[in-house]
Amino acid sequence: MKFAKPLIITLVLSAIAGSALADSVLSVHAPYVRLMPPGIKTTGSFMLIKNDGDDDRRLVRADSPAARIVELHTHLNENGVMKMRAVPHIEVKSHSQTELKPGSFHVMLIDLTAPLNEGDKVPITLEFDDGSTIELAAPVKKPHAAMPMPHR
Amino acid sequence: MSRQRYWIAAGICLSMLLVWLAFFWEPDIGTPTGHPGPGTLRPAGQPMGGDFTLDSPDGKLALQDYRGKVVLLYFGYTFCPDVCPTSLSALGQAFTALTPEELAQVQGVFVSVDPERDTQEVLSVYAPFFHPRIVGATGTPARVAEVARRYGVSYMKQKPVDDRPYTVDHSSFTYLIDREGRLAALLPHGAPVADIVLQIRRLLGDKGKPS
Repeated sequence: MKFAKPLIITLVLSAIAGSALADSVLSVHAPYVRLMPPGIKTTGSFMLIKNDGDDDRRLVRADSPAARIVELHTHLNENGVMKMRAVPHIEVKSHSQTELKPGSFHVMLIDLTAPLNEGDKVPITLEFDDGSTIELAAPVKKPHAAMPMPHR
Repeated sequence: MSRQRYWIAAGICLSMLLVWLAFFWEPDIGTPTGHPGPGTLRPAGQPMGGDFTLDSPDGKLALQDYRGKVVLLYFGYTFCPDVCPTSLSALGQAFTALTPEELAQVQGVFVSVDPERDTQEVLSVYAPFFHPRIVGATGTPARVAEVARRYGVSYMKQKPVDDRPYTVDHSSFTYLIDREGRLAALLPHGAPVADIVLQIRRLLGDKGKPS
């Protein structure tokens, strides 16, 4: 049983290294939650998810204490008719990125537990198909600030 | 025997094709006249536009009351988590980009196709949030349907999943109405703010140009 201790240490270390590696290949940029008019209890969160790893990843779940139900959604534009649908996952290909943006993929927050104000930070947990998670705090922004302004 | 099977199979294929043709085939009816941008409408009828009267938080809203102004009309619902806010924000941003003189000659109207949930109280807060110059309006389901039909708007309430609030699929065009109340142009969903400003200024003509 001489080898047991070093073996365990090695295993633990590699597990730590492995999880650290899994965390570092996926990253989230510029997340935000859209500020909605007072009284409206559904909103969306948008962000850019980057995958610097060699494996394709899937965002399989999102969760937040700010809403009763949190779902992954997308939009289909069929001849100008916009259809919002829940999706089982959102793919982020290896060495690529997926943008969650208005009119496309988004994290849908249904039945907000409390009204959101501009500047609030909404905690959101993203879970991927490899079991890794990313915690983020998405600021609440007015729709105006979330879109580039035109040149005047 | 196998020959008989072949004919049965062929018959089934043919009847399936006929069913598909009858129920699902929607030939492209082309772009409506006067349509400046990309995007086509579902065949809910060619949009004719025209006057209508609906209820707004300030009382009756009649399109004819806006004669002399350029009206931007959008159909949606307030539970709409993404599409409507995106379109209405773009509209609000376009309004913000106008000069005060131009803005005085422009009106935004948000028509809710979900009168069941979108009461006047809800609309009174919702529409002006995007810009004070946008007013909410709705009416009885029958009247909303009539206005929508005239503008070629399709919408369909979706079955709710479990205890989630239901969503409504709907056309996401912005309708531009000129000073004489005529439907002048359609802007597709996601039209850049600069395009909306351009279209408004085009309809305002020389009178709207800043001096």
